Amino acid sequence: MAAVAVVVALGLTGCAAGNSDTSSTGGSGGTLNLGQIITVSTFAAAQSNWANESPYMQAVYDTILTADTTGAIQPGLATAWKYNADNTVLTLTIRSDVKFTDGTALDASAVAQNLVRFRDGAGPNASYLANMTDAVATDPTTVTMTLKAPDPAMLTYLSQNAGLVEAPSAFTSPDIQTVPVGSGPYILDTADTVVGTSYVFTKNPSYWNPTNQHYDKIVMSVFSDPTALLNAVKGGQVNATNTLNNTDLAQMTGAGFTANPLELNWAGLTLMDRNGTVDPALKDVRVRQAINYAFDTSSMLKTIENGLGTTTSQVFPANSVGYDPSLDSEYTFNVAKAKQLLADAGYANGVTIQMPSSALLGQATLTLIQQQLADVGITVEYTDPGNSFIADVVGGKFPAVYIPLQQGGDWELIQFLISPTAPFNAFHTTDDTVNGYIATIQKGGSDSDQAVKDLNKYLVDNAWFAPWYRTQSNFVTDANTTAVVQPGNAVPYLWNIKPKA
Amino acid sequence: MLRFILRRLASGVVLIVVISTVAFALLYVGSGDIARRILGQTATADTVAQKAASLGLNRPLYVQYGDWLSHAVTGNLGISWFTGQPVMAAITSRVAVTLSLVIGATLISAIVAVVLGVWAARRRSWPDRLVQVISVLGFAIPGFLIALGLVLVFAINLHWFKPTGFVQFATSPSGWLASITLPVIALAIGGIAGVTQQIRGSVIDALRQDYVRTLRSRGLSANRVIYKHVLRNAGGPALAVLAVQFVGLLGGAVIVEQIFAIPGLGQVAVTATTQGDVPLVMGLVVVTAIIVVVVNLLIDLLQAFLNPKVRLS
Repeated sequence: MAAVAVVVALGLTGCAAGNSDTSSTGGSGGTLNLGQIITVSTFAAAQSNWANESPYMQAVYDTILTADTTGAIQPGLATAWKYNADNTVLTLTIRSDVKFTDGTALDASAVAQNLVRFRDGAGPNASYLANMTDAVATDPTTVTMTLKAPDPAMLTYLSQNAGLVEAPSAFTSPDIQTVPVGSGPYILDTADTVVGTSYVFTKNPSYWNPTNQHYDKIVMSVFSDPTALLNAVKGGQVNATNTLNNTDLAQMTGAGFTANPLELNWAGLTLMDRNGTVDPALKDVRVRQAINYAFDTSSMLKTIENGLGTTTSQVFPANSVGYDPSLDSEYTFNVAKAKQLLADAGYANGVTIQMPSSALLGQATLTLIQQQLADVGITVEYTDPGNSFIADVVGGKFPAVYIPLQQGGDWELIQFLISPTAPFNAFHTTDDTVNGYIATIQKGGSDSDQAVKDLNKYLVDNAWFAPWYRTQSNFVTDANTTAVVQPGNAVPYLWNIKPKA
Repeated sequence: MLRFILRRLASGVVLIVVISTVAFALLYVGSGDIARRILGQTATADTVAQKAASLGLNRPLYVQYGDWLSHAVTGNLGISWFTGQPVMAAITSRVAVTLSLVIGATLISAIVAVVLGVWAARRRSWPDRLVQVISVLGFAIPGFLIALGLVLVFAINLHWFKPTGFVQFATSPSGWLASITLPVIALAIGGIAGVTQQIRGSVIDALRQDYVRTLRSRGLSANRVIYKHVLRNAGGPALAVLAVQFVGLLGGAVIVEQIFAIPGLGQVAVTATTQGDVPLVMGLVVVTAIIVVVVNLLIDLLQAFLNPKVRLS
């Protein structure tokens, strides 16, 4: 009895933690139990993240613009938007009927302040607005953004975390990172939320767009462990969730869940040292092409991803204007050709490449890379940089790297992988042809789409990368819930997760 | 007694300061580019530098430690770099959850182990062999496998419990009990195995002592001899094992909380350590050290209460 009394007493003290029951009530319009594979890093809009964190932010904030399920830009807080002739001034017309949950009105001034704060906020995506000289509210419903140069992805950025609008009253709050004040469809219930574990949102009764409120309550529970997530799915504790791997997918569908597939990332090698700074061999395009031919991508897809994905030789995604289906099979597995290319380049006796390793990348995949390249005469020597993995990779310490990377929109992809200042162009490779295509794409207009196609072809021909496949990720939904995946985003946008009619 | 307690508390404070210093140094030595890890792969070098400066990471390590320590002694353990939550709030919201699991598992271990250990020691023969087999199995099977088995059988197949999650007592007492039942059992089984063996051995030794023979010759009942006299003497070593196991269970809770998605210290410890959330890890180190110091002190006091022969000074 004493034992029980002590345990009960501790349970009572635990009440102060304010956790919630994670039991599922079904997706019938009452409560949505949404599984999340990561916690939200911050609710402060200026430092916010996106992708897997987007549902947290979309619950409590509105964005200036939105995107539909094809990726096309749609109105959000801004009902209209217009560029000037040279695409360096963007004028936004802001809704006048929106209130923050603190009761204050959302106006152009609040929007402009949020844009400047995001640019200066040292958040993970602050670079999205680095090109913005200023954002000014020219009247209560008009914001004028001035840009240093045209930015083809600016409207997309404004439909993501760069476009989140937080109440100015929260800017000086000491709780800004954990207590959001927005104008979104839901309000975070801080009493029932356990930071890092479960987040409870209740319907915002005065939301301006009730058609996007499909539930009275949303509970987002974090499952960072695959076994716990699988058990939660099997036990019916979530109505919908992203998945942590493809291994458990069969068991999830076996439990009555529907898989909603999305090809979001590409897996393969990024051959960064095209200048030959660290590894002179990689300067020779024939060596880089040999690496592409060395991989049996079909077998790797089956082995590593249970066959869920599409083999490819290009980094641009299938929804890109630059996508060319024929480039998916540009480099088909050919050991003899790989060896011949190495011999032609003067490396008949082999090449050694230094690459970073990490347990997070999967030892089996790293071993496969080593084995497949060894078969054509390329020796891979791994070094584990530990916690400095990303810093060392983007800092140019390794000539090549294996890391699955997001595809995203064309301009985002260019800024992430290709441009001379892109983080994953670690050796700042500059190429007049590539720079010419990038300039055309940045300028916009009728030549832009063709320039993306040409750039993609050029990168494949010159083997800037050695892609294997586009990985299929899956968002699963139970029998009571539907979801439409969002191109370029890890999870569906929150308003596209609905009770099944 | 008071002097003993004060001395133990003083040594505990020294221990905590030493542990925090070593932990701080180790965390920073192995943490790499912290700002880059917080911001991820998409951030530019400029943003990373700006973030590092805003966190004060460009200052010498001893300055950063001095800053942390001066705030820590006032109860301010900083803010999590990855969730923005004050570290003290992150820990206090979870410590009761973990302690309810660990104390529950310890108490169940103690009760079941006393019953089994005494039974085996008194009866010997097949009950003794059975208890020993059970103990070996309890030792041999890893806690996470037991946890997974319990989930599979009692949550997924029989639907008696929820496979994951934690319910606050205030929300639903029955829900709370249901939510901690499987995790407590998973944690307790290993403990039962260890303490049972200790109690069995101690009771067998005590039963051979002269004082037991004397007590029996005076006509005391077997139960009174066992539970009033033998267990008092045999309980000392068992308590020591329980104390060690309590600390061990704090570590064991890491895996169990992950499997059951329970918002305790173990779950947050895994996440914070994986991410390199230095303020949160430091807070967890300090709180865990405090718990260990306090538990050891309580066990010492309990030993003295059970057996006056134990000289505290």
